[in-house]
Amino acid sequence: MSRRLIISVLVLFEILLSAALMVGWRGQTVAIDKYDVVDRPARIYPDYGSTVIPPNIAPLNFMIKEEGAYYCAKISSVNGRPIEVFSKSARIQIPEDRWHELLEKNRGNELSIDIFARGENRGWSRFGTITIKIANEDIDGYLVYRRMHPTHVLMRGRLGIFQRNLGNFDEKVVLDNRRSRYTAGCVNCHTFCNNRPDKVLIGVRTREEGDNTLLIEPDAVNKLKVKFGYTSWHPSGKQATYVVSRMFLFFHTAHFEARDTMDLDSMLTYYVADANNVRTSPGISVKERLETWPAWSADGKYLYFCSAPMLWPDQTKTLPKEYGDVKYDLFRISYDVENDKWGQAEPVLLAKDTGLSITMPRISPDGRWLIFCMCEYGSFSPWQPSSDMFIMDLKAAEQTGRYEYRRLDIDSDKAESWHSWSSNSRWIVFSSKREHGIFTRSYLSYVDENGKAYKPIVLPQKDPEFYSYTLETFNTPEFVTGPVIATGEQLARVVRGAAAISVEIPKTMATPKPEKSQEWQEFKQ
Amino acid sequence: MLTLLFFLLYFLYLWLVIDLRLIYHNGGAILNFPVFYLEWEYFCQTVFWPGGLVGYVSAFFAQFFSIGWAGALVATVQAWLIWLCIGAIIRITSGRKLMRVSFVAPILILLLYCRYIYQFNVLMGALTALGFVCLYLKIPSRSNLVSFLAFLVLSVILYAIAGGAAILFVAICGVYELFLKRRLVLGLTFLLSAPIAAYIVSLAVFNISLISVFNNFIPRYQKGDIGNVFRLTAVYALYLLLPLTLVCLWLVETLRKRMSRVVLHGQRGAASTFESKVARMYAPFLAIIAGMLVAYFYHNSVLKTQIEVNYWSSNGMWPQIIEVYTQNPRNKFINHAADRALFHTGRLTQDMFAYGQQPDGLMLTSETATPLGMWRLFDTYIDLGQVNLAQHSLAMLMDMYGELPIFLKRLALVNMIKGDTSAARVYLGALSRTLFEAGWAKGWLEKIERDPNLSTDEEIQRLRSMMPATDRDFSSLNENIFFDLLERNRHNRMAFEYIEAFYLLTNQLEKFVGMLDRLNDFDYDRIPRVYEEAMLLYSYNTKKKVEVPGREISKESQERFGGFTMVYTERYKKNKPAAYNELAKDYGDSYFFYYVYGPAGMKK
Repeated sequence: MSRRLIISVLVLFEILLSAALMVGWRGQTVAIDKYDVVDRPARIYPDYGSTVIPPNIAPLNFMIKEEGAYYCAKISSVNGRPIEVFSKSARIQIPEDRWHELLEKNRGNELSIDIFARGENRGWSRFGTITIKIANEDIDGYLVYRRMHPTHVLMRGRLGIFQRNLGNFDEKVVLDNRRSRYTAGCVNCHTFCNNRPDKVLIGVRTREEGDNTLLIEPDAVNKLKVKFGYTSWHPSGKQATYVVSRMFLFFHTAHFEARDTMDLDSMLTYYVADANNVRTSPGISVKERLETWPAWSADGKYLYFCSAPMLWPDQTKTLPKEYGDVKYDLFRISYDVENDKWGQAEPVLLAKDTGLSITMPRISPDGRWLIFCMCEYGSFSPWQPSSDMFIMDLKAAEQTGRYEYRRLDIDSDKAESWHSWSSNSRWIVFSSKREHGIFTRSYLSYVDENGKAYKPIVLPQKDPEFYSYTLETFNTPEFVTGPVIATGEQLARVVRGAAAISVEIPKTMATPKPEKSQEWQEFKQ
Repeated sequence: MLTLLFFLLYFLYLWLVIDLRLIYHNGGAILNFPVFYLEWEYFCQTVFWPGGLVGYVSAFFAQFFSIGWAGALVATVQAWLIWLCIGAIIRITSGRKLMRVSFVAPILILLLYCRYIYQFNVLMGALTALGFVCLYLKIPSRSNLVSFLAFLVLSVILYAIAGGAAILFVAICGVYELFLKRRLVLGLTFLLSAPIAAYIVSLAVFNISLISVFNNFIPRYQKGDIGNVFRLTAVYALYLLLPLTLVCLWLVETLRKRMSRVVLHGQRGAASTFESKVARMYAPFLAIIAGMLVAYFYHNSVLKTQIEVNYWSSNGMWPQIIEVYTQNPRNKFINHAADRALFHTGRLTQDMFAYGQQPDGLMLTSETATPLGMWRLFDTYIDLGQVNLAQHSLAMLMDMYGELPIFLKRLALVNMIKGDTSAARVYLGALSRTLFEAGWAKGWLEKIERDPNLSTDEEIQRLRSMMPATDRDFSSLNENIFFDLLERNRHNRMAFEYIEAFYLLTNQLEKFVGMLDRLNDFDYDRIPRVYEEAMLLYSYNTKKKVEVPGREISKESQERFGGFTMVYTERYKKNKPAAYNELAKDYGDSYFFYYVYGPAGMKK
């Protein structure tokens, strides 16, 4: 036999052996005829039991947290073929096509998951059925969020805005520091007009390029030479209201969360797209108050925002001792977009009545619900374990004249924040530290027509153990109806490029220009 | 044989003298040491980027630096392969064996290691490029078109897997074709078409900017990197070595042909054979000599000591630190580590002034915001109980240096102490996917699984009991860093000894004495010697008696103080320069001496 032939045979044998082993490793389908019944549902991670899920969500892969050497998960519903997944490991990865087929056929029905486990030397055990409700309403196709380490000051590590197709596990870069090639900086405050992927503002702050904002529109991507803080698009798309602030970052020696931040001064301004200028109004830039967190109502007639009295002299540069006493109220102010006319600010909910500081109001696209956060003090609730989400019925408030609110049932004892509505007002996404401490994850929850929020699911990942080792936080999630029209290198080129649009900012700003961010502090060598 | 000897000595030097574990440990000296995870997302993030595959492979092998001999072996094999490729390329392209040129590369690499500069990934890129050159040279190249296509395909692949290192491949192939094969058009085409290959990679493969293709493996100046000059010199010399050699060979050959038209074949044959034999012997011999010279003149022993001390400090190897500190009394970072070592061996209150002390060394107060300072402080903060301070330092460092295992370990610990075992699990989860820290991580994960609050772990409970309850902003700390700890736990020995040490180092005896009522919170069997000395000084200066309930100053200290004052005040009438030698000889290890003169540890 020639040498070549021998080698070829050996190589072929190895390939076949490997293939056989791989097939063997994947759980083989077996018939489970006999089993013991365990009188409780299996423990699975993530815990999807009793949740409500979108009919177009990616497969909810999970880990089985029960002893065993072989596992089987049978996923079934009223209509369609059940899915059976056999596995020699506790990891259940559901075939995507079969999953979508099953969910699509069962909108409004319940999904049942039956889990079986078998030891090496014992028979099968069947656990109690885990049920999941499949909603009728789709969730928006994409979620855009920022991924970064839980950083303290510098942002030199990997940081970027990503978009995730919620129907599968595809994740793509929208903008990150690797492509933009800045050595220290931040991308944040990505704001979508009416959940649209073709009208977007993204804040970019870098050592190399300074503070800018990218404006993505259907026909162009431009870099505006202005720094937008937390932003809210007017539903007409004609203007975007944002915060201008002097932020102060500081750290606690004895709080559970070491990081903290506050606004030494802040006001609201708005960018008028047609005129390419920035304006403000006395009602949203009171010298003695700190305004922040703009949120437009669905009809664009009111701007909701948070406002607190400034308890220290306005040129303060160090941490005021009153920082823990600042509690924000919720206000709204009427606005006529056609004539650019503002009304008088009126209180919606006062901190003195709630005993807590109100932050992050967001209104559902159907105009009915307002979800906001409350925490012990200050404006930045993500760094406060006390932060919880509350809901207010605006339609009922119109009729009764009273703004009533209640805590969402889905809150935990850790910080909840950064909530955002889907375009059909049936889903919210929010950031929570409930499961992984300082590592914020994104959770999806169904909100029914009565404003009841259902047990949330963590953003599903292909590897169900993903969150147990990922050192990045997922924050500022926003629903988008389609993929962002400009991403990756396209946006990076604009960031790096010299072309930028100067924006006219009026001289009579109530608040001085923001100072250089602390984030560019250099280490002393 | 001599070549084997060269590489054997190379390996032993890297293992036993340089100790590549120190590069792995880092200590704040190396900005670019890679992390490596055995998981899919890391693979995707790393590989799907120009230079990613080579970066992934080099990150994998770099983890072996954590095992002394294994790291040395990996580094030596890499140097050997580069040597081999250079030799092969020269031989194939010019028909000559120029061993002495081949040895320049490992010598340049040795220079980098002597300076504790990590460029393993860049060298891997260079090695890959050299390997591709060998591949190109093996392809039969009768036709220009075949050669060009081969070059284009190889350069596209190389840009994709090795990023900017592909420039080396382009330069060598271009020079070879242009000068040695005399295929001028082809050579020029190679050199000019290099951007095209890079462009194909950037646009068609990765959809990124052209410049991003070159970001990997082309060293550039890095702010804050103390090794910039050596790094850039060595690496660019390595990159230029072969192209320049080939050009020189062409020049030599051209000149030789012009000068000598007729050469007797037999004589030439005999001369080249003799020349090869001599070259085969003296080239490695010269290389060994060169290596020794590089090791002697360029080994950064100061940096080595600093990293070593930090390595020992991280691993609780106290005696080694104290021993080294006697040889480096002026280095505040080593001072800091030595004070910590003295505390952990129960000697801070007895012997702290037997060693060089500077006020800034205790808590590195001028370095709390610098990378080197933070790197040394996070363990001290944890020891003290200032867990949020430790967490802050670690988060800043991780942002700057990457997800190094030491940060993940400490952040897991910090979160366990704070009771946030869910966050700790994530750090441990990440660690369990590294090559060599997985065992440690899995042990802790199992513990947390059994005991989610770690209520049965004595060390965690002890550290938890030391965390401050009074909250402050970091900027308003000063001495409160210790007071808050003592307020929470009167038995926080380190907080007590450190605040007293701080007062002694800054000659604040009033405040020192004010804390002595806490002495009985601890199980000292007597008043510590250094404290006795300070009490005697205070009484002498203020004429006030200092008492500690149930304790008396030992006769030995009183006699010693008597002797000191006799020499200093009576014999030398407080003439400090005049009294120095005598006082240093007998009292140089005492607080008396420090109080008067500042520097300590002068006892002869």
